[in-house]
Amino acid sequence: MSPKDGFGFSRRDFLKTAGAGSLATAVTAAGVAEAHAQAGVRALGPGDVPVTLTVNGRRIDLRIEPRVTLLDAIRNRADLTGNKRVCDRGACGACTMIVDGRTVYSCSTLAIEVQGKQIRTVDGLASANGTLHPVQQAFCDVDGLMCGFCTPGFVVSTIALLEKHPNPTPEQARKGLDGNICRCGTFVRVMEAAMAAATSSAGGVRRG
Amino acid sequence: MAKYSWPEKPTLLGTPVKRLDGPDKVTGRARYTHDINRPGMIYGKIVRSPYPHAKVVSIDLSAAEKAPGVKATLAYMKPGDEVHYQGDPVAAVAADTEERARDAARLVRVRYDALPQVSSEAQAMAADGPKWSTTQPNTRAGQRAETGDLEAGFRQAGHIVEQTYSTHVITHVCLETHGAVCEWDGDKLTAWVSTQGVHQCAQGFAQALGIPQTNVRVITQYMGGGFGSKFAPDSQGIICAKLAKAAKAPVKLMLDRKEEHLDTGNRPSAFAKIRAGVSSGGKLTAFDGQSWGTGGAGAGSGFPLPYLYQFPNRRRVHTDVYINAGQQRAMRAPGHPQGCFLTEILMDELADRVKMDPVEFRIKNAPPLAPNAQWIKYFQEGAKRFGWDKRHATGDPTPGPIKTGMGVSAHLWGGAGRGSQAHVDLMSDGSVVVKCGTQDIGTGTRTLVAIVAAETFGLPVSAVKPEIGDTIYPFSGGSGGSTTAASVTPAIRTTSVNALDQLFAKVAPTLGVTPDQLAAEGGRVFVRGNNSKGLSWKDACKLIGTEPISVDGKWEDGLSSSGTSGVQFAEAEVDIETGVVRVKRILAMQDCGLIVDKLTAESQAYGGVIAAINFALFEDRILDRVTGQMVNPNMEWYLLAGMSDVPKIDIVLNNMPERGVIGIGEPPTVSTASAIANAVRNATGATIRSLPLHPHKVLAALEQERAGGTN
Repeated sequence: MSPKDGFGFSRRDFLKTAGAGSLATAVTAAGVAEAHAQAGVRALGPGDVPVTLTVNGRRIDLRIEPRVTLLDAIRNRADLTGNKRVCDRGACGACTMIVDGRTVYSCSTLAIEVQGKQIRTVDGLASANGTLHPVQQAFCDVDGLMCGFCTPGFVVSTIALLEKHPNPTPEQARKGLDGNICRCGTFVRVMEAAMAAATSSAGGVRRG
Repeated sequence: MAKYSWPEKPTLLGTPVKRLDGPDKVTGRARYTHDINRPGMIYGKIVRSPYPHAKVVSIDLSAAEKAPGVKATLAYMKPGDEVHYQGDPVAAVAADTEERARDAARLVRVRYDALPQVSSEAQAMAADGPKWSTTQPNTRAGQRAETGDLEAGFRQAGHIVEQTYSTHVITHVCLETHGAVCEWDGDKLTAWVSTQGVHQCAQGFAQALGIPQTNVRVITQYMGGGFGSKFAPDSQGIICAKLAKAAKAPVKLMLDRKEEHLDTGNRPSAFAKIRAGVSSGGKLTAFDGQSWGTGGAGAGSGFPLPYLYQFPNRRRVHTDVYINAGQQRAMRAPGHPQGCFLTEILMDELADRVKMDPVEFRIKNAPPLAPNAQWIKYFQEGAKRFGWDKRHATGDPTPGPIKTGMGVSAHLWGGAGRGSQAHVDLMSDGSVVVKCGTQDIGTGTRTLVAIVAAETFGLPVSAVKPEIGDTIYPFSGGSGGSTTAASVTPAIRTTSVNALDQLFAKVAPTLGVTPDQLAAEGGRVFVRGNNSKGLSWKDACKLIGTEPISVDGKWEDGLSSSGTSGVQFAEAEVDIETGVVRVKRILAMQDCGLIVDKLTAESQAYGGVIAAINFALFEDRILDRVTGQMVNPNMEWYLLAGMSDVPKIDIVLNNMPERGVIGIGEPPTVSTASAIANAVRNATGATIRSLPLHPHKVLAALEQERAGGTN
C-alpha cells in the first residue's frame, strides 16, 4: 500500500464509509438524515417521495422512490446524462460526482441522502459560454479519451484531485485516479492530461 | 498513374489532429445510446435463465403483467426450449421506470428442468462427462493443416520441446453495455443502438422483425466500446423493438453489468499440446500441435497456430469444445493473442535449448523482410531502443525477492479496406458536409473523415462537417477487423476529389484557365504554380450557384492495403514471495501504412497494449465447476488495470505512406501478453505456460522450478 496522501483516507476507504452511510440513512427522513438517525428511524416510501437536489448550482425537484440512486435520479429524471452507469456497484468510477467537495460513486449513493448538498457533475463544468474547464481542455489536447464513456468520471476525478493537490506528484495523481477504469486503454494520456492541467492552471483550478 | 492517390506532401495526414468530438465527450454533451431519453420512454428488462443448462417447462407472465407500471411483457422462449448458458434470455418486461421494470422481471415465473451442465474444457472432453446439449456432441473437429514432412523435420531437430500451453476466457467488458432504444412510427422503426455497425444492425432488425430494411433507421452517434462484440441487434435489440411495439411507447433496454458478462461474447480459451523441434544451429525444423478451446455454447474457438515463425514442417489439428457458457464473439484481433502466446512461450523455450538470445533466435526464424513483414527490422531497432543488451540470461541473479526480466514477442494482422460509400456536399457559402454511414467506436473515425476531406479541399479540419453514425448516410461496413480506416478514408478521398473537380470546373472560366490547372490549398483555389492567381475558398464556392455540388463516391483500390507487423518488448518485475507481477515498461514497434491522425493512431496502440496487460495479468472469466455459474460477473472481481497498474509505454509507429491506409485497432494488442510472460520467465527462471499470470500460478511455477524445473 502506498502511504496515505492528503485526502486523509483513500477514495475506496471513503466510499466504503459512504456505502455504510447509505444503508443507515436510506430509511430516514429526507434532508435531515443525521438528526433523525439520532432521534429514531422514520420510514419513507415505498412509492414516490419528494426529493430536492442541488446539481451544478441548480435546484431540481423530483418525486422518486427512496431507493433511486443519485446517478439514476439525475440521468433518468433530470436528463443530465453526462455521468455514466457502467458497473453499477462502485467499482469503476464512471459515475463519479463531487458532493460537498468529495468524490462519490453516484451509482452507490441514494439521491435522497444527498439533499441539501452541493452536487457537481461533469455536465456543469464548462462555462455557460462553452469554454471548457482547464481539465476538460487538457483531456482534449492530449487525446486523453477514446470511446469517451469513462471520460466524464475521469474528468471529475481529475478535478477533485487537483482541488486537493494543485500540483500533484505522479504518485498522488495515480492514487487519485485509481478509482476509475477505462477499457479502451487511455490511462497513459489521462495521466498526461492530469499533469498538464495541473501545470496550465498553476495551482488555480477553477472550481466548477 | 491511378486515378486516385494520396497527396505527396500532405498538410494534415500524419499530423496530430485533436479528436473533433473531444469537447462533446469531456463535457458529457455526447449522447450515447445509454443517454437517449425519448418522450414517453419506458424501460425494458430481460428475464434470463439462472441455470447453465435446463429445459423450460413453463413461463408465467401473469404476476408481472399486474405489477405497478408494467406496460408490456413477452415470452422469448417457449415451454420445451433448452437453455444452454447462464443468462440465456427467456422472457422480458417493460415498465415506466427502470426500478419497476426490475421488480416486474422478478415476478416472471419460469419453471425449469435443470440438466447436467458442462463448465470446463476438461469436463466436456471427458469420455463419460456431462453433455452441453441434448442434441449436439461436446466437440467438433476444427482447423486442420499439414505442410512438409513432419518426420523428417523431427529427424533434423537437435532439440525437441514438448509442452502444453493455454490461454483463458475473457469477456469484452464494454463500458457502455449492449442495448438499444427503440421507437416505432407505424411500421417504421428508429433504433438507437450501441453498435459497431449501423447498417448491419438495420439488416438484423429487418430480418428478425419481418419488415423491409428501408423501414429501419439505426443511429449510433457515440458508442462506449465494442471490441468486436457489437455488430448485430442481438436478443436485447430485438426484444427492445418488440416491447416498444407492444407497449406503443419508446423503450430503452440497456443490459446490466452481469448480463454484459454472461451474454455478449468473450474471447475463447485456447489450449495446445505442442511438440516442436529446432536444429542445433537454431533453425526451426518441425511443429506438431494438437489444439482445442471453447467458445462456449456451440461456438467455435479457432486461432492461428503456429504463429508467425517459419516451421518448414508442421501439422496442426484443432478441436472446438462446447460448454454451457455464453457464446464467443470476435474480440480485438480474434484468435491472434491466443496463437501468439502459445507460440511465443515455446519460442523462448526453444531458444534456451540452443542457447541463443531470444531476439537473435526470432530473427533467424522470422519471415524475410517485406513491406508487410518488418519484424526483423523491429527486432533489431527495438532491441536497441529498449536496452535489450542489459538483459540477463534466464533467471535474475539479483539477491532479494524482487526479480526483473525482459521478454519479446511479435505479431501480425490484416486490416484491409473494403467497400464503403460516401457523399460530399459543397455549398455556395463554402460549407462542406461529408456523409458516411460508418460509426466512431472510439477509434477516431469521425475525425479521420474530416481530416481526409479537409486535406483534399485544402481547408482546416474545422471547416468540414463530418456526418456519420446513421443509416440515412451511405453504406459503410461494420467497424471490425481493423478495416474501418482503410475502408472509409479511401471513400472520402475519392468522393472529395470528384467534388473538387466539379468545383474546379465552375471556377476555371473565371480564372481563365482549364480545370486541370487548378489546385486547392491553404483555404484557396488557385492556378497551380501561380498562387496569387486564385480565389479564397469562400469566393470560389460562390460560383457554385444555387444547386450545391453533391457527389456520391465509394472506396477504390489503391488507397489502402493490408498486412501489418509489430514487435513488442516488455520488462516485468516479479515478487517471488507473493507471486505478484508488475509490468515496468513496454515498447511497441508497429506499422499501419499511411498514418491519418498521429494522435488517435498512437492512442489505439496505447489502448491495445493496456488491453493486453489486462489479458496477461488481471481479467479472467471464472465459472464455478459445480454450478456452472460465473463467479465474477461484475467489475470488482473481474479485474481490470487501474492507473497504478499501467507501466511506461513507448509507441513507435512506422509511417509508410506508400502503402496507403491500414487499420491499427487490433495488432498492438496481440503480442504484449506473451512478451510479459517471457519477461516473467526471464526474471524467475520459471516458465508459466498458461494465462493469466495470477500470483498463485506464478508461485506454483516457482515451486515446480525449485522441485526440478519447469523446463
